[in-house]
Amino acid sequence: MNNALIIGQYVPGESLVHRLDPRTKITVIFFFVFIVFLANSVVSYSVLVIFALLSMFITRIPIRFILKGLTPVWFLIVFTFILHLIVTNKGTVLMDLFGFSIYSGALIQGFAISIRFFLLILVTSLLTLTTTPIEITDAIEDMLHPLKKLRFPVHELALMMSISLRFIPTLMQETDKISKAQASRGVDFRTGPLKERIRAVVPLLVPLFVSAFKRAEELAMAMEARGYQGGEGRTKLRELKLRKRDVMILLLFIAVVAVLLVTRNY
Amino acid sequence: MQRNAQSSKLLKTIILALLGTISLVLFFLNFPLPFLPPYLKIDFSEVPALIAALIFSPLAGVVVEGIKNLLYLLVSGAADPIGVAANFLAGVMFIAPVAILYHKFKGVKSIISGLVTGTMVMAIGMSVLNYYVVLPAYAWFIGAPEMAGATAKWVAVSAGVLPFNLLKGVIVGLLFIPLFIKMKAWIEQKQANLAA
Repeated sequence: MNNALIIGQYVPGESLVHRLDPRTKITVIFFFVFIVFLANSVVSYSVLVIFALLSMFITRIPIRFILKGLTPVWFLIVFTFILHLIVTNKGTVLMDLFGFSIYSGALIQGFAISIRFFLLILVTSLLTLTTTPIEITDAIEDMLHPLKKLRFPVHELALMMSISLRFIPTLMQETDKISKAQASRGVDFRTGPLKERIRAVVPLLVPLFVSAFKRAEELAMAMEARGYQGGEGRTKLRELKLRKRDVMILLLFIAVVAVLLVTRNY
Repeated sequence: MQRNAQSSKLLKTIILALLGTISLVLFFLNFPLPFLPPYLKIDFSEVPALIAALIFSPLAGVVVEGIKNLLYLLVSGAADPIGVAANFLAGVMFIAPVAILYHKFKGVKSIISGLVTGTMVMAIGMSVLNYYVVLPAYAWFIGAPEMAGATAKWVAVSAGVLPFNLLKGVIVGLLFIPLFIKMKAWIEQKQANLAA
């Protein structure tokens, strides 16, 4: 679990999808989520499935990582499918099962919804599989830039997100250390009756908060000593740059949307 | 003088970021309760947001809640955005009354009455939200509007959402009262230091 928290789901790689600008990936995936709901025919679903599977194979991420990301929703997909078999009664009766009539329409609709689910989860997880959380933060900061005119603190938000991400491992370790220290004194919040467990969390939280404030003071001082003065005029270590491949992918995606719109209802 | 104002703004930004991280860590440290189904988990991730809301302002608490949920989306892979949004709203409904009452009246009593109000607001608010928005959204999403019939929604809310949020509010409150009593002096000292 520790590891999952630090880097999220990111699987390092050198594929085209990994090297794309994170802004390109976020844009494509954002619009993909909407167009999935436009598909309503065999051909239009096939277009989306081909696009998603192609993207998946290009990342060269082992299938087992992708399947791992799907585990929390397998249940939901199967549940939805069965629900449709029971509830929907369109089309002709295919067979009778334990007194339930299974209709052809139900089979088709259940299948379509399962594919929709699968597409959404697959494509959104491709973002977190090929992009580090910090890259996503940088991209979001850049994409929200126009909101600065409305006095929305875009830079501060991005700063908070990157500091938070940076400190996840540190604070996890600290929590672990404190809870072990308390356990060695006989305070254990993992066992015992509920009331005891709640009471045992207090001595875990107090040092955690106090040390977080100390850390924050040190970090603020260190940043100011190095001349941090807010977002204006600040240069970046990781510059985002749109390249030819990003333009190509965006054009390809527009083509996919066009094909989808044309093949709808077929 | 201007420099000082800027320092304290930076310090505040960093403090909120670190409280957001603690909130995420506590979110993952959820403990399943023996008498509840495993998908309804109680966690203490609202506590750092409460601390921020008491030291600074209700808005600071909302920011910490927001950071926690954004981090969770980034780290977990965005599989369930509806659930994350619901968690954010529940957190806001819970901490806002506590912070508002505390800043008005101060003291342990204001915290207790705030926690009671917060629990009620969260339980009722989440029930209404689930009935009118979340459950229909899920039903539409899985393409089965029949699921969002009045009876089905009523059962889901009265047997799931309402008791769960009440219980969550009570448990977090039972933790927060002794924590606040212990940290009262520290919180007031930080308030004075960071008020600039």
